[in-house]
Amino acid sequence: MAEERTGQLAFAEDLARQGQVAPAVEACYHALRVDADDPLAHCLLAELMLSGDFYDEAIHAASRAIEIDPGCAPAYLALGLAYDRRGGMWDQSILVWHELAEVVPDLVTAHVQLGEAFGAAAFEEDAIAAWRRALELDPGEARAMYNLAVAALKREGVATALPGFRKAGELDPTQDDLFFALAGVYDDGEPAPDPADVPADRASRLAAAYALAFEEDFFSAADLLRLVLDEGADDAEALGLAAYLYLKQEAVNEAMACALRSLTISARTPTAVYCLGVAFSKRPGLARHAARVFSALAKAVSDHPIPHVLYAESLLALQRYSAAQQSYRTAIALDPACVRARFGLAAALLTEGRHAEADWEIRRAAYHDTRRQGLFWALYDEYAEGR
Amino acid sequence: MADDAASRLYQAFVSQDPAAAISVIEEVRAGGVDQGVLFDSLFAPAMAMLGGAWAGGVIDEYAFTQAAVVAEQVTSFVTPPATATDTGITILIGAMHRDHHAIDKNIVAAALKEAGHRIIDLGVDVRPADFLDRAEETGARIAIVSAQMMSTARAVGRVREMFAASGRDDLILLVSGGPFAADPALAREIGANGVIKGAESAIRLVDRVARERLGTGGD
Repeated sequence: MAEERTGQLAFAEDLARQGQVAPAVEACYHALRVDADDPLAHCLLAELMLSGDFYDEAIHAASRAIEIDPGCAPAYLALGLAYDRRGGMWDQSILVWHELAEVVPDLVTAHVQLGEAFGAAAFEEDAIAAWRRALELDPGEARAMYNLAVAALKREGVATALPGFRKAGELDPTQDDLFFALAGVYDDGEPAPDPADVPADRASRLAAAYALAFEEDFFSAADLLRLVLDEGADDAEALGLAAYLYLKQEAVNEAMACALRSLTISARTPTAVYCLGVAFSKRPGLARHAARVFSALAKAVSDHPIPHVLYAESLLALQRYSAAQQSYRTAIALDPACVRARFGLAAALLTEGRHAEADWEIRRAAYHDTRRQGLFWALYDEYAEGR
Repeated sequence: MADDAASRLYQAFVSQDPAAAISVIEEVRAGGVDQGVLFDSLFAPAMAMLGGAWAGGVIDEYAFTQAAVVAEQVTSFVTPPATATDTGITILIGAMHRDHHAIDKNIVAAALKEAGHRIIDLGVDVRPADFLDRAEETGARIAIVSAQMMSTARAVGRVREMFAASGRDDLILLVSGGPFAADPALAREIGANGVIKGAESAIRLVDRVARERLGTGGD
């Protein structure tokens, strides 16, 4: 751990974790003056250079870390990302991700990145094999699914690719986050209550049902919801949550019925609007309906990226690719780290033959996704502990 | 009347009677309601009633699920068609001889097919004579030739020459690919009738060509 490393390196680490890039770089150089052959200092420097968009410096530092210790997994991550973001170094990139997959075989992201490197080098079959391997390791790996959807787009067009984008979107936690944001439910760190302890009033039961749904205990949530509806069947909010619970169980018609009933009671129930749009989007003939619903949702919740993404996806289904691009760009402006919007925009750009821009969006998605996962620090800490 | 039909459709769902559900739908359709609005005017209100019945405890969870299955069985009767209707326009598409770039061609072909056109995909590395032969065989009047390199883009002129030599000046030649997007004059030089700049552009351009040159009602 930190105390076993040099004081300078621990200081550099602290600064880096706080996002203070320039002083962290300075501290890294100090640490390297103490021990020029410390792979941790080199790979930390690589990560810092990468975050400052100094790709060549990042490549140099990460390569040095690997030279010193070929088992330094975080250095491979930094090196691979540096190659990818620098561009034009796909052969090296493939080798690095391959190495990382060897060093940490169960690291799903290594396989996803390997696939993207293969894809960028036009080895489509190898790319697809790598993404499938990632999904074997983790069936919930959204980025592998997005990449497979883009591969399907290149071979068979948007209509074939779109279900893949939606499936990936469902794996992506941001869509559920939207539902709970619409309901005004946020993760407060408290565990959901035991259903047996919930006070017998509507507000407590509904709040507990949302909390249980948030923790994916759908059956307990449904039991509480039943009690709420038994007290008052015309409860638009409860029906919105019921629709969501049915959607999570792939019961699209039940979800549609609950959402429509909810909106009959109160047309201004955002959770029901969301569920209705998702239910419509799962029916190929209802693309226009889905677009209408998501357009309304995007206007009503204009500061959240996902309604714009959902609207964009429905526009793709209607072959309105340039309008879809606009919506994706709005989503990215709201959240530059929105992986789903980046991949969607890449798809829309590909329909116009703008391959370089599409590849750039996919690379940005990779960058933000690995950041979101905190992957560098996870590998770094694991490596430091194992030394 | 519409409310009554929606109630009867709801009853058919709850009674788990798909035949009755279909007969309600057909009856409403026979009454002059367009397929495009059947979903909104009939199916959606019936589904809202179903949701209300479940919420109010009129039907239990099992009956709700069964009713939803019946709704699933009749959905295709009330939803607009998932694919566009056949325009009757046959289009040849292929990448020029010595050009193996397939992605843009595939995306454009799929988009045009989804828009209801009859697409004959000749693949990549297609010789000019093959475009002419397949046009003769299929009666296609539009050929889309994709080329992603300057050398192959210039060679597309041979397709036009071959059409002209065979007295097929009526064949419409559309081109796509980076060189044509970068230099609009190139398409004119090689005798193309238009430049496709992606899938949406392809749909618009083919519709325009269909209206103005083929005299069909493409929209």
